[in-house]
Amino acid sequence: MLEVDGLVSAYGPVRAVDHVTLEAPAGSVTAVLGANGAGKSSLLRTITGMLPARAGRVRFDGTNITRLAPEEIVRLGLAHVPEGSGAIAELTVEENLRLGGLWRRERDDRGKALGEVYDLFPRLGERRRSAASSLSGGERQMLSIGRALMGRPKMLLLDEPSLGLAPVLATQIMRRIRSLRDDTGLTVLLVEQNAKSALAIADRGIVLNLGRVVASDDARQLAADEQLRAAYLGF
Amino acid sequence: MSRFLDLTLNGVSAGMIYAAVALSLGMIWRATRIVNFAQGGMFMVTTFIASSVIASSGSYWLGFVVALVCGFVIGAIVERVLIRPVEGGPPLNAVIVTLGLLILLQALAGMIWGGTPRSFPPAFSIRGYVVGWHHLGFSPQDLFTVVAVLAVAALLWALFQHTEAGLRLRASAFAPMVARLQGVRVGRMLTLGWALAALVGSLAGLLVAPSVFLGPNNFDPILVFGFTAAVLGGLDSPPGAVVGGLILGLCLSYVAGYAGSALVTLASLVVLIAVLMVRPSGLFTRARVRRV
Repeated sequence: MLEVDGLVSAYGPVRAVDHVTLEAPAGSVTAVLGANGAGKSSLLRTITGMLPARAGRVRFDGTNITRLAPEEIVRLGLAHVPEGSGAIAELTVEENLRLGGLWRRERDDRGKALGEVYDLFPRLGERRRSAASSLSGGERQMLSIGRALMGRPKMLLLDEPSLGLAPVLATQIMRRIRSLRDDTGLTVLLVEQNAKSALAIADRGIVLNLGRVVASDDARQLAADEQLRAAYLGF
Repeated sequence: MSRFLDLTLNGVSAGMIYAAVALSLGMIWRATRIVNFAQGGMFMVTTFIASSVIASSGSYWLGFVVALVCGFVIGAIVERVLIRPVEGGPPLNAVIVTLGLLILLQALAGMIWGGTPRSFPPAFSIRGYVVGWHHLGFSPQDLFTVVAVLAVAALLWALFQHTEAGLRLRASAFAPMVARLQGVRVGRMLTLGWALAALVGSLAGLLVAPSVFLGPNNFDPILVFGFTAAVLGGLDSPPGAVVGGLILGLCLSYVAGYAGSALVTLASLVVLIAVLMVRPSGLFTRARVRRV
């Protein structure tokens, strides 16, 4: 589904993503792990065109998307849920959600997609008229994920969905991500600092350090690798 | 008492014009964080175009419509050609570009239409309504001004709140990067925002021209008053722009009537400074934290 080959990007002279190669097969959950500053978010930002690629190639679903703008990439079915408050605070919950499906031509399906998001996150349905600024951290995270689903993506890039959430909520979000994959065959690339909970739902894992891939393996193998855990994952 | 009533009515119709200017400044501010000083020049040019069309066709309404359409087009062109290259840079660059454009437009207008102010026809009679024996300081033209600005404000509100384009416009203004990730073509939204803002500005020009005359520099005070109204109501708030325009219109009308018209510009500056000292974000904007 997603193939990244020798991808390089940088903030000025500082290299953030350094020749990263990875593959996320259709219907899989791939965890991207690593410490703060390892280049995880930058990797996602480079994939979706928010940060220009200096070298390398990104292919999504058979299309070369390396030089495409973010607004065109989402139209191909690759949705990016950015880190932190991707919810637009000044808009209501429902406006935020509708925004995620506006680019789609199938107008009839938008209402149906909205209903499905409310089924998946009933809390959002209860608060549909509230300003997104009044939501709690967990609700905002649900809103960002729900909004991405409004476009019925083939693949979801999730940036730290559990950041700043209470452990119970974080587990809940992780379970939802897993069940989305199981129920709809969604492909997921999941960036997490919380390696333990990410590996618990992932099929495969990739560990980044200073922008480079230092390990890439089956999720269970990674979780069992004592040395790797001690060196990069901190659990 | 009747003098007070006249001054109040005058203030309302003048305030509506300031409100229109404030609305157009606020729309651009919300979308791009740029104060568009060229607005004064843009609506001066569209009013000159209206003047030429009216003179050659004899139809006021043809000139009216042509001016609004030209405003829309000029707004789009200015954003696309002049503002786009400096967007994302330091805000001061864009402000300097709009100032430069203002001066350029004033010079061009002087070359094309001459520097001598000319009269501009009102849409309706400027003779006050007669109530009993008294001529009110409020004419059909004033009524038209109030209705036109309120109607445009209502249309804009409906556009922004209840249409898909409006949702895209708001998302692009509040969080451009997030909007792009949702497939919103933010560049196009900025162009549309500037075009709409310039359309509202050109309406203000058409409404104010009969009373201040039409010349390359005659609208300068209107831009200053519009800016004051926008700051008064809060640059971020469209209802604030309307209320800010009204309050300023009333204040200036009372000052002109009771203290002398020479003090009007001074009064506007006093209002501006007072608001900036007491409530810098404006009367109608809730203070909020922007994460950077």
